[in-house]
Amino acid sequence: MAIATFEPVLTKTVQLPDSHTLGVYKKHGGYEALEMALRKSPDEIIDVVKRSGLRGRGGAGFPTGTKWGFVPKNPGKPKYMCVNADESEPGAFKDRLICAKDPHQLLEGTLIGSYAIGANRAYIYIRGEFAAEAAIMERAIEEARNAGYVGKNILNSGFDCEVTVYLGAGAYICGEETGLIQSIEGKRGEPRLKPPFPAVVGLFGCPTVVNNVETLACVPHIVKRGWEWFAAIGTERNTGPKLYGLSGHVAKPGVYEAPMGVSLRTLIDEYGGGVPNGRAVKAVIPGGASCPVLRGDEIDLPMDFDSLTRAGSLFGTGTPVVMDDTACMVRAAWITARFFAHESCGQCTPCREGCGWLQRILWKIETGKGVERDLDILLSVTDNIEGNTICALGDAAAWPARGFAKKFKDEFLRHIREKRCPFEGGSLH
Amino acid sequence: MATVKLKIDGREVEVEKGTNLIEAGKKAGVFVPHFCYHPGLPVVGVCRICLCAVEGRPKLVAGCATPAEEGMSVVTRSAAVREARAAVMEFLLIHHPLDCPMCDKGGECTLQDYTIAMGSAGTRFSFEKNTWPEEDVGGKLILNKNRCILCLRCVNLCKDVAGQDEIAVLSRAEETYIGTVGGRMIENELAGNIADICPVGALTSKDFRFRARPWELQNVKSVCTLCSKGCNTNLGTHPRRNEVVRVTARENMDVNQWWICDRGRGQFTQFHAADRLTAVTRRQNGAAQATAWTEAIPAIASALQGVVSRHGADAVGVIASAELTNEECWLTRRVFRDGLGLANVDYPARTQPPVVYPKFTIEGDRNPNVKGARATGVAPGTGGRSVADIMRAAADGTIRALVFLRGGPLDQFGDAAIAARALDRAELIIVVDATPSPVSAKAHWTLPGVSSAEKDGTLTNSAGRVQRITKAFRRYGDAREEWRILQDLGRALGALSETDPDPERIFDRLARAVPAFAGLSYAALGDQGAPLAAAPANVVVG
Repeated sequence: MAIATFEPVLTKTVQLPDSHTLGVYKKHGGYEALEMALRKSPDEIIDVVKRSGLRGRGGAGFPTGTKWGFVPKNPGKPKYMCVNADESEPGAFKDRLICAKDPHQLLEGTLIGSYAIGANRAYIYIRGEFAAEAAIMERAIEEARNAGYVGKNILNSGFDCEVTVYLGAGAYICGEETGLIQSIEGKRGEPRLKPPFPAVVGLFGCPTVVNNVETLACVPHIVKRGWEWFAAIGTERNTGPKLYGLSGHVAKPGVYEAPMGVSLRTLIDEYGGGVPNGRAVKAVIPGGASCPVLRGDEIDLPMDFDSLTRAGSLFGTGTPVVMDDTACMVRAAWITARFFAHESCGQCTPCREGCGWLQRILWKIETGKGVERDLDILLSVTDNIEGNTICALGDAAAWPARGFAKKFKDEFLRHIREKRCPFEGGSLH
Repeated sequence: MATVKLKIDGREVEVEKGTNLIEAGKKAGVFVPHFCYHPGLPVVGVCRICLCAVEGRPKLVAGCATPAEEGMSVVTRSAAVREARAAVMEFLLIHHPLDCPMCDKGGECTLQDYTIAMGSAGTRFSFEKNTWPEEDVGGKLILNKNRCILCLRCVNLCKDVAGQDEIAVLSRAEETYIGTVGGRMIENELAGNIADICPVGALTSKDFRFRARPWELQNVKSVCTLCSKGCNTNLGTHPRRNEVVRVTARENMDVNQWWICDRGRGQFTQFHAADRLTAVTRRQNGAAQATAWTEAIPAIASALQGVVSRHGADAVGVIASAELTNEECWLTRRVFRDGLGLANVDYPARTQPPVVYPKFTIEGDRNPNVKGARATGVAPGTGGRSVADIMRAAADGTIRALVFLRGGPLDQFGDAAIAARALDRAELIIVVDATPSPVSAKAHWTLPGVSSAEKDGTLTNSAGRVQRITKAFRRYGDAREEWRILQDLGRALGALSETDPDPERIFDRLARAVPAFAGLSYAALGDQGAPLAAAPANVVVG
């Protein structure tokens, strides 16, 4: 789909002055969806979201309506909605835009979601480094409360919902949904054993839904314009608009909105203006640092959950990092590994020990001290981490390391043979 | 209780619903390795060594965190499971030091055992290991973080059993470590259990450090005698050195589960106190002189009989002891109450403030055998005096002879000043004890007894459970077990006709004679004990 034919949904107003204020939001139809939703039953809302085909935008792509449907109707306890605004994977910066420029869109989606699952309290968990966005979010909640959208008896519907901003302390792992829950509870940010899943035993032991910012931002539009409209955008199993955070070696990095399933090449060449200085695309990390790298000759594929999985990578948060032919793939792998080694919560053995090991091997190869056996050990360590951990962080560290080592094996071997990095002075140095 | 049937490595087993795969495995005879899992602690699922395959599930599951389900088929012997466990072992060892030869845990270390069972002899880790300095964390523990595998048992024991957050997980990623918080030390009295359950040599006991290798020790099954709870213990005994070098907790689900307190853990130092009484001593005209049992027993018997015949049975007071075993208590009653016809027989109460933790209580009654003493009839007879009254009567000269079956500080016998006067005034003082006290300092006859670690016997705890103690080391010098002393004295006094060769025989005789013990036999008590039978334990018999 060419750029011109797609009318932005989620980013419609972000370029307007004061887009973060209630006035601007309402001028463009803000909170009409909430009014509509409150006139319907929670089940109807869940049904509409199910039919829309909306899949979670936080990386896993789980159907949102189905997730909401797992929440017990009458658990005899409070229920909670948690908004995951802990966006902190290298490459991902799309949710930040919504928080900063259109907080009411997120808030409206949060309120509708809370209504659908029967939660009277929602927490917006914002990454610790996003202090400015958290302040904007706080102001938006205050505006909404004064206007009767937050608090007791919202719009005379009888539905109560309090929304609280919770600022994290700077841990990537708190973006894992149970790590996020632990953090809100004031505990160490460590993922929990699953089952039980948060829908049954979540925040404070109560049924809880954790949704990504962009996911919830889609909800008001689905309610207002109907699931058929939403489902018509994108591809069959990957519906709706999507925010793509494009970075790396592109002429115009930034957040772009396009339908699910837009071609990665289109994204890079048309939206991002291509690779500068006439250089070639060497590699693309398609959806955040945890997604296995694609070679430059593999980018003619639709950006959606299923296509990326078929290609041996992952859609993740849909935030491609583009690298040109000056970038060293061993160094890129090391940078990625260093991130995960730093962010592992440390509770389970394979991730705690394995991530540090991967980082060491990659640095050894990158600095010209590697031997061929190190490459085998590297791959073996990724195998030994994957699937053996409590949460997906271990996998998220193993996949990219393995991806780089397999996709760019020659480059790894060159480091070993030449006993130095052949890309010294390159763009990642 | 609802049960489920499942298969583990093809072996069918039926377990209670909710049982995890490690416990189900135990029941099926399939060992599922585990570091972090402990049946007495919350499941944390962090070590990952218990990964198992469950048919129909795409990923391996943690055995500790997976409840058995009806019809489940669990596989622990597949290549996938073997590889995953070998991977976890390798990860655990990359930063682990190779200091087994000097590590206190060596020989009883889970990590060492598993390494031998399923680890690799070499390493693929070609980098420098992370290292940390050793530190004192309080609780008589030394923390060596190099060896720590972050199983969190220590943290969860403090949190869950002791209700304290004195030790916590700090930092993150591979810098994660266990440590005290804000410079505070571990102070709870259950901390010693950490050394028992630490699966590696990360937290070791200061008392035990470098004192012995575990394989040199015999674990003698016993019971702690420092309070009335009756915690089951292992006396780690060095046979060649004839010494108990540590006390560790022994599981008994009816008494102490998996735990003991640090007072009990330190009891071994009392067994081997430097000032142990080792000689039969006679004090005449202020001068103490060692003598022999063969001389002492008849002399004491005739001295006691002399007082009774000259001044009547009321002129003798027996301060018995609820620290002694059931057998010894029963002999006390038979020798002094039934034999000599004394009514002034009582034992001193010994109390302390109880310490209540969420999942463990240190009892307020310091006597380990009050129920047994009562049930066997160690109590004043008709018109007989209590401990304090006996001392008062001795102080005013009404009582002329005092027999102490344990000494102790004077305030243990009522008013200390009155007790001191009693000891000054009494014309005959006999004490049986293992260590010196103000009583033995004044006694005319001091008979060296033994600690609970030098004899067999039984004790009845505050819940009425009869449990065995076992002799761990050879007694000091001329010291003799109290049951022997009482039997010898009893025969010299003509109060007993039999001589039993061991506490087992005495106990079985006692079980036939005393209704509260009916139906019990020494052999059947085993190493977990048994409750007193029909009769309520606090009913005084006789």
